[in-house]
Amino acid sequence: METTLYPQLDDVTAISTAFSEAGYICTPRIATVVYLAAALNKPILVEGPPGVGKTELAKTCAEVIAKPLVRLQCYEGLDEAKALYEWKYGKQLLYTQILKEQLGDILDGAKGLKESIQRLHSTGDVFYAKEFLEPRPLLRAMEQDDGAVLLIDEIDKADFEFESLLLEVLSDYQISIPEIGTIQARSKPMVFLTSNDTRDLSDALKRRCLHLHIPFPSIELESRIVTARVPELESHLSDQLVRFVHAIRELDLKKSPAISETLDWARSLLLLHANQLDTKLVHDTLNVLLKYEEDIVEAEGQLGKLLKIAEGL
Amino acid sequence: MTTTAGSNQLLAFIKFLRGKDVPVSPADTLDAVHAAGLLGYDDRTMLRDGLAAVLAKSTFEESTYREAFDLFFAPQQLDTETLESGNGEQPASTSENGADQDKTTTANDSAQSLEELLQNPTAQEDPTLAGLMNSALMNALQSGDESTLAMAIEAAAETAKVDEIRLFTQRGQFTRRLLDALGETALRDAAIEFEKSQPRAFEEIQRLRENLRYRARDRVERAYLVHAAGDTEDFLDDALSEVRLANISPHQMARMRKLMDRMARKLASRHGRRRQRKRRGQLNVPMTLRASVATDGIPFNTHWRQVQRKRPQIMAICDVSGSVAAYAKFLLMFLYALQDVLPRTRSFAFSSSLGEVTDWFSEFPVEEAVSRVNRVYGGATDYARAFTDFNELALQDINRATTVIILGDARNNNSDPRLDLLAEIKAKCQRLIWLNPEPRLAWGTGDSAMLKVTQHCHIATECNNLKQLERIIDTLLSAMHGN
Repeated sequence: METTLYPQLDDVTAISTAFSEAGYICTPRIATVVYLAAALNKPILVEGPPGVGKTELAKTCAEVIAKPLVRLQCYEGLDEAKALYEWKYGKQLLYTQILKEQLGDILDGAKGLKESIQRLHSTGDVFYAKEFLEPRPLLRAMEQDDGAVLLIDEIDKADFEFESLLLEVLSDYQISIPEIGTIQARSKPMVFLTSNDTRDLSDALKRRCLHLHIPFPSIELESRIVTARVPELESHLSDQLVRFVHAIRELDLKKSPAISETLDWARSLLLLHANQLDTKLVHDTLNVLLKYEEDIVEAEGQLGKLLKIAEGL
Repeated sequence: MTTTAGSNQLLAFIKFLRGKDVPVSPADTLDAVHAAGLLGYDDRTMLRDGLAAVLAKSTFEESTYREAFDLFFAPQQLDTETLESGNGEQPASTSENGADQDKTTTANDSAQSLEELLQNPTAQEDPTLAGLMNSALMNALQSGDESTLAMAIEAAAETAKVDEIRLFTQRGQFTRRLLDALGETALRDAAIEFEKSQPRAFEEIQRLRENLRYRARDRVERAYLVHAAGDTEDFLDDALSEVRLANISPHQMARMRKLMDRMARKLASRHGRRRQRKRRGQLNVPMTLRASVATDGIPFNTHWRQVQRKRPQIMAICDVSGSVAAYAKFLLMFLYALQDVLPRTRSFAFSSSLGEVTDWFSEFPVEEAVSRVNRVYGGATDYARAFTDFNELALQDINRATTVIILGDARNNNSDPRLDLLAEIKAKCQRLIWLNPEPRLAWGTGDSAMLKVTQHCHIATECNNLKQLERIIDTLLSAMHGN
């Protein structure tokens, strides 16, 4: 199967390299799935805890293939008017007004009812025409001429019914508009859906996607990510930091720190010109890493132990 | 392994996965074959990751998938190929030739020794042996050419109908049949012939035989796992869901729990959330306008912006007294699973006094929660007291969207169960459902107040196995959504 549209995604190793050059360190798994998605023309459903880089994956992909990123943020109550398309009803109303005024001109000199109707028909149906269509993210992604990355973020936040709306887009890359007909994608976009697993998605949706679960990274991988993203940080400090974060994930916390928090912390330490993790520093900056007061209290109680692990002892 | 042999293997693997309760649709199968074709069969890790994306649709399924993959595609088989072909980057079709050449060169030394040994007159005179030594199978065995070998074994497996294996004890028999189909008898004869005369050749042949036997046994065991083990699992699950809950023995608990979890998850995903458009509030102009086209621009059918979300709320009351203790354990387990997936479920337990156990269910693991409930609320039944407590505790929270489920045998030791309190609950809730573990024929016998109870319930039904339970809850939840 040839993928002429996204030549950058034609080979698993090439994907790994290109992504890491763009600052996204991906595991072989992620690279394999991205490759398959491009080759099979299938959407990827990315699942995993918040902050492991699900959204970032789609952004990086857009960067790597140098195509526009069309993003649809899902939320409760999202419907087709906000996701697919909307009629510019103001213009439509205006149009009917104009039509009324023009009616005299069109029908001028027509003999009998039959001819009038014929003339009316000959003007064509302009009321529901593409000109009155306001494209929303999904339609916009379909209308890109040479490919795009469509990111449907946090699909689990949308309602169950919205998933059904997506099915046509995901499996056939087309949108049916009752008044006009079916609009085919000009070129098939790369589609990423992300989910935080707050609820089970429907089987129909899952069936149309490749499934990719991104877990918390291993120490080694996270070190590489920190180095790639915050290269200015001294290497021994970044090692300490990653080991510390991994130790903290072992604790029983309300919300474990994810990669994004690790990176935030690394940047904070950089700003503070820190060169060594110590009790005071951690104490002052722990709120970057942990988002709940009770988690902070829990972690501070075990600071000595955590710091020892961070030292590699 | 060639692409065809590979995809046959892949199809067998998918069947195996289905047996492990990972639903794989025909469309998924097609995708898997495509994906495998793209990735090639050389790089085991990549194949595993790639197929995971296609075949496993959730984290839960993925762990099952990974186990199954490791079991099915025995690592050494693919690993040797990976090592020998050097890298796994080439697509399957090209790597085949390249890899084969590599293999013949690397594994040459052992092959040579046997050929040299057989340079003596006796061997060449023997036509069967000479034929055997030149057969593709022998060449493959000697050179370690995995793809030819795998194909030969697959072909022989077909002749020997290895996939018909149904019982674990049939392994020996099927291995023998498979070896016969492979033509191992000739090898055995050769071994007998050489045993005295040529010890080195004998050793070499024995080594090959051992190799072949190992592979055959492996193939048969896999056939068992694929074709029989899955059936057995399904059979056990089916059987268990029809067994009366009271008769389930402790060693089946783990399986039972898995079944319950699965059931609760299924129910929840079917009934999790529904929305309904309200008929008031802010007008949805575009939708109304669109709908008005059919009526000549006059907006007969109005559409509104507000959407009402209906979330099912369930209050479950479970009798944990001695008479229903055996059932109660399972019902509590089920409540536990249900509460996990339908967050608006509140659970109560009673025998005489009643209390809410929702928090325990969300805090503790299932065994501890259940034993805690039994310890605190176990005892002799007193429905009157339980209803009083419940009404005090939760009646004000019951509304038209609430379903109340009561699990109990309605045996109240001949005292007044205060069914007027039950009527009060019925008046306030959307549905009141009584599930009784006793068969319908036993209702109303002895101290059972069940016949009277029936009058105060929307639904009163017998429920003593998992299948019944699932059916009831399913109809119940669909009814809640009004469809």
